[in-house]
Amino acid sequence: MDADPQANAWFMWAAYSVAAVILVGYGVSLWRRTRTVGRSGGRAVGG
Amino acid sequence: MTASTEGAERVIRRGLGLMLAGFAALAAVYLVALRFTPTERFQGLPQKIFYVHVPAAWCALLAFSLVGVGSILYLWLRDPRLDLFAESAAETGIVFSLVMLTTGPLWGKPIWGTYWTWDARLTFTLLLFFLFLGYRALRSAMHDPAERARYSAVVGILGMVLVPFVHLTVYLFPTLHPQPVVLKPSTPSLPGVMLRTLFLSLGSFTILLLGFLVTRYGLGREAEARGGSDGR
Amino acid sequence: MADLLRAAVAIAAKDLRVELRSRTALVSALGFAAMVLVIFNFARDSATVSREAMAPSVLWITFTFSAVIALNRSFALERENAALDALLLAPVSRTAIFLGKYLANLAFVFTIEAVALPLFVLFFGVSIRGVVSGILLTSVLATAGFVAVGTVFAAIAVRTRFAELMLPVLVLPFLLPPVIAAVQITSRLLAGRPMSEILGWLKILALYDLVFVTFCILLFPALMDE
Repeated sequence: MDADPQANAWFMWAAYSVAAVILVGYGVSLWRRTRTVGRSGGRAVGG
Repeated sequence: MTASTEGAERVIRRGLGLMLAGFAALAAVYLVALRFTPTERFQGLPQKIFYVHVPAAWCALLAFSLVGVGSILYLWLRDPRLDLFAESAAETGIVFSLVMLTTGPLWGKPIWGTYWTWDARLTFTLLLFFLFLGYRALRSAMHDPAERARYSAVVGILGMVLVPFVHLTVYLFPTLHPQPVVLKPSTPSLPGVMLRTLFLSLGSFTILLLGFLVTRYGLGREAEARGGSDGR
Repeated sequence: MADLLRAAVAIAAKDLRVELRSRTALVSALGFAAMVLVIFNFARDSATVSREAMAPSVLWITFTFSAVIALNRSFALERENAALDALLLAPVSRTAIFLGKYLANLAFVFTIEAVALPLFVLFFGVSIRGVVSGILLTSVLATAGFVAVGTVFAAIAVRTRFAELMLPVLVLPFLLPPVIAAVQITSRLLAGRPMSEILGWLKILALYDLVFVTFCILLFPALMDE
């Protein structure tokens, strides 16, 4: 068990950041897909 | 039943609203978990990853069950909306599985000294992810909507049936993973304030999941209303 | 019920007859199994890894990978000749089609295993004296389970463009529980462990078989709808 609190804090921050990036990233991609809704002729659902 | 653009847009708006609420709740959870929850004595700060990893796992599993339920209902009722629901749930499940798979090793390294172990629970996580990927790969390889719906429903149901078997191996495989702390038959071993944070996080993640699900579903309905499936 | 079985056996017999005529798939699968065993022998650093340690895993990787190759051919013929429609027009139930395909696949995979097992004993120098029945039972149980799932996924994969790739992608997660159990049992058998250590894993295998064969029978007809 690692006794270095500073290094371990890094893992916590890394995990929280990565989770946020994934979740917010997906949320944003969904939101952007909704932005093309209503435009004529556009395909609303992307990749 | 064909979708109307207005109806679909209503669904999308509702979904976006839920998403926003979910993100707000998530921000609150981050604050509470990082600043206002005591640090666990033995594992130190990395233990806090627990408040993100476990709800993500819960959501991935929930999403997976929704795929299964949607699949069963689709095969029974043959309503294409159920297929769209399953597809949306699968997409959401991939997102939460990714969160699980990234936070898991980041938790593991400081605690057990290694990023990855093949203990049954991490393996279970990975398996869930592969099941989602397989489901999605199948869907992109099929273009006839009705056939695609039927075939993915079969995969969805079989996948759901598989999950308990993989979970079963957790109790038989000697494992590095911390033994179940909350969902034990007796009372949870987690002290009250940590339990509260966990439940707060579970709630936020679930709202976020619903937001993703409803938005994605709405987008699918909208695409249908525009005429023609998007080929996925 | 008797009609169902009769139809299933007829379909299985047809499949096997077709295969025996050309033998391509069988020979390829057997060759593959042998090659895997050979490669594993050389893929081992003899100074650090004992043959006994690797043996159970090697056996089961050989079995499962060869099985996947064999399963690929399961519906391939029908696809190539649009014969599936003909099969569906015949007065046999879809369940019979599944059972027939399943039986044919079982025969196929059991044949591969029957050849691979002695080769394995030969190449890896493991003694299976005294535990032959245990290993056979494990093989039968594990194979019965994953071939059922494999048959369903072969039927699914054949409708996609990259069928040979789609089948393994879909089926591999489903191989995990039976393979884990089979390896656990095999390694304990080879090490002479008592039955009490093995019983739990055997029960899991049996349960897996029961559940998945049932679900495969129930779900297969949905694949054959028009």
